[in-house]
Amino acid sequence: MIEIDKVSKAFSARAGGSLFKRAPKKTVHAVQAVSVHAPNGRITGLLGPNGAGKTTTLRMLGGLFPPDTGRIAVDGIPVAERPREALARMGILGDAHGLYPRLSARENIVYFGRLQGMEADAAHARAEELARLLDMGNILDRRAEGFSQGERMKTALARALVHDPANIVLDEPTNGLDVLATRSLREALRHLRSPAGGAKCIVFSTHIMQEVELLCEHVIVVAQGRNVAEGTVDELLAQAGERRFEDAFVKLAYGTGTGTGASA
Amino acid sequence: MSLIRNSLVVFGKELVDALRDRRTLLRLLIPAVLMGPVMLLALSGLISSLEDRAEKREVLVAGIENAPTLRNYLERQTYTIKTAPADYEARLRATTLLEPVLVIADKDFERALREGEQPTVEIVSDSANQRAGAGVGTLTRLLSGFNSERATLALALRGVPAGDLLRPLDVQERDLASVQARATRITAMIPMFIIMAVLYGALTAALDSTAGERERGSLEPLLMNPVQQTALVVGKWGAVALLGMAVALLSNLSFIPAQWLLRSDSLQAMFQFGMPEVGSFLLLQLPLAAGLGALLMAVAIRSKTLKEAQAGSALVMTLVGLAPMVGLFNPGGEAAWYLWVPGLAQNSLMMLVLKGEALTMAKVLPSVVVGLGLAVLCLSYVARSMRGAVAGQK
Repeated sequence: MIEIDKVSKAFSARAGGSLFKRAPKKTVHAVQAVSVHAPNGRITGLLGPNGAGKTTTLRMLGGLFPPDTGRIAVDGIPVAERPREALARMGILGDAHGLYPRLSARENIVYFGRLQGMEADAAHARAEELARLLDMGNILDRRAEGFSQGERMKTALARALVHDPANIVLDEPTNGLDVLATRSLREALRHLRSPAGGAKCIVFSTHIMQEVELLCEHVIVVAQGRNVAEGTVDELLAQAGERRFEDAFVKLAYGTGTGTGASA
Repeated sequence: MSLIRNSLVVFGKELVDALRDRRTLLRLLIPAVLMGPVMLLALSGLISSLEDRAEKREVLVAGIENAPTLRNYLERQTYTIKTAPADYEARLRATTLLEPVLVIADKDFERALREGEQPTVEIVSDSANQRAGAGVGTLTRLLSGFNSERATLALALRGVPAGDLLRPLDVQERDLASVQARATRITAMIPMFIIMAVLYGALTAALDSTAGERERGSLEPLLMNPVQQTALVVGKWGAVALLGMAVALLSNLSFIPAQWLLRSDSLQAMFQFGMPEVGSFLLLQLPLAAGLGALLMAVAIRSKTLKEAQAGSALVMTLVGLAPMVGLFNPGGEAAWYLWVPGLAQNSLMMLVLKGEALTMAKVLPSVVVGLGLAVLCLSYVARSMRGAVAGQK
């Protein structure tokens, strides 16, 4: 279970400036008030346009930096105070998910398993298991150097799941994946969500509406650093008074219906 | 407990990762392992050719037909007289002629000598032509020998027993340097190559495990593991320092076969570089590898890309690599502060080993203190900066 409660985060960014004039600093409010309550056994979608603050929110969830205000807890463990305990309960596929190119997929996965406190044997066994689940047996012992986008994504996902975490956080995991790979990822996530797969708590961020419609039981729409709407896909449609989810999303996220849904 | 275990996991991974980077390793082995021995061999070639010349006892003379008396003197000193080529000036300038030339241009040499008119002879050399320059001393000594012989004879003819009048002093040289100390003149460059080897070995691993990790986007996922920052940093640092030491070991060992190939026998007798030297050299490098490995990591951790980190580390590499040069600029001898400067300290200590002098605690301790202090300081900075490195806005 993941609880993110009204977090906010501001960064200072540098404006243009010129060669002789030092650029003035500007404050950017990346996240202003985002809340996510994601229970176990459910796939919670975090839907928002680019720059809405999804990635920043998830990076705070991963303990990379603390929120300015608000609190984050994983299975009741506050991330800010007990980061290592919280991290042990999460598998995070972040926005940055670089692999070690000179290690094989298996070594990449086992390394993170070891860092999660697993014994070498257990980590190897788990790598095999994940390779079956994610259909990546053929690349398991190849170096990551020559991997395709999809193979890299699968390896990074397996690496995030190696310690069989109760909470799974995925930041735009379908970026760069083709139809088949996206489909098999969806299958894998459904399995993990089901009681047979361990009834995991899954948080899934994306800007692709189709993903959300197909996969998420609960959707949180984020825009300009705030929650703007929340509910099932059907509830969101009803709330926006639209029949197509895309129209509903545009209306909710930008506050203005384009009104010309049929021609979009 | 888990701190040590996690450090070992990180250490093992970084080591495997670095050793798999074969192409980079090979490229850094070339300067680190080959350069020193090649320089040593080239230098030994030079020295043995100087020795050959001394053994051959030859002088190049232009116009010896003008001076039979001088010829007679030179031959009595068991020197062979060779006629200089006609274009000796051009060839000296072009460094194709490697010996100075004695020129007797005066056709009236004999008459002038007889009548005490001080005929002129020239020793022609080119100070940009070092090997020719090295032969000037021999020629000068030969000619002053001729001078004093002529003077003694002239005075003797007038009935003055002048042998000791002309030489009121009996000058004899006594060389205080031990055989090993003389050898260090040639081997003085070895420490520099070994210090560079430590740096080369540590450099790629230090940059790859910090800035490289950041550039690849693998630092963020790494930090989202429940591992102490300290464990990550110590593990990485261990691998960096070990690689520095490994390359230093190879560089050390490369001097052993190199000395078998030394061309000059007397040089070979002087140059003593065996396993005990290798061992003490390695031990002396430990603080350097520890301190500089950490320093390179600290320089790199704030860089967003490998390129940026390389630019930053170039300064460290240059300063430490050239530190032994301080000794050249300051020929007044070793100052006490040398032992406190990384690079320079190792250079001084290795020179002591080569000279066969004993290493005392007082001499070794400063470099150990500096190395460990630097490591602790830099590593705590890296540990603090790691999170900061990924905390910015994307």
